[in-house]
Amino acid sequence: MSAQPAPVTRTLSQEQLHRYADASRDHNPIHVDPEFARATPFGGTIAHGMLVLATIGEMMFAACGDDWLSGGRLKVRFKAPARPGDTVAASATPSGERAWSVQCANERGEVLIEGRASIGGGS
Amino acid sequence: MTSSARTSIAALPRGHEIAPATFVLADAGVRAYLDAVGDANDYGGSVPPLAAVALGLAALQEQLYLPEGSLHTGQEVEHQQAIPLGAELTLTGRVAQRSERQGFVISVIEFEIAHAGATAIRARTTIMAPGAGA
Repeated sequence: MSAQPAPVTRTLSQEQLHRYADASRDHNPIHVDPEFARATPFGGTIAHGMLVLATIGEMMFAACGDDWLSGGRLKVRFKAPARPGDTVAASATPSGERAWSVQCANERGEVLIEGRASIGGGS
Repeated sequence: MTSSARTSIAALPRGHEIAPATFVLADAGVRAYLDAVGDANDYGGSVPPLAAVALGLAALQEQLYLPEGSLHTGQEVEHQQAIPLGAELTLTGRVAQRSERQGFVISVIEFEIAHAGATAIRARTTIMAPGAGA
């Protein structure tokens, strides 16, 4: 199984960041403490990079099924943070045999994550 | 565990070996993860690979801490085999690369997550952390 991955879109909330912090045991205050985060260069909380990356994982599993679980490869750079209230969209463009350029962008078109996904050593 | 009991990632030299750590991703933990990320896929008794990586990163942070201002700048993951729900997982890792630039230390942590004696996931996490002088 490996169809063209369909985009996954999600709007982030502060409550979701708290739930992800609990699930991943990552309670870094930049993600969960608005008062702390206001005093940082970000000016407010930002989403965990792995939370945003999860949209790409969700998209790839939906397209590739079990092939993604045993044989999937993902290599990305986190380029910009997502914030509560942002709507983020993961998408994929074919770039070879069972390989895709992947990215996650916000509603303003800013690329937050970009990289490559493949299955079974895809080219 | 407080940060004072751990070592800053910025202080770890290239080649530093992370002590093996074990953790379990049981059904409740995976459901909490899927709920938090909003993923409605049915993984059919397997652990979503990025859930295992996220919990692996948590296990790493029981041994090292990220100084204030640290950024997760890159992630690579290879899924070698599916991980069944409830499997006891063992994480081993090391500092594969370390460089300094403009007051920041850039560390690449390479780690494997294994179950039943076989590697299930290989991952490389890049962290940019303020150096001692930053």
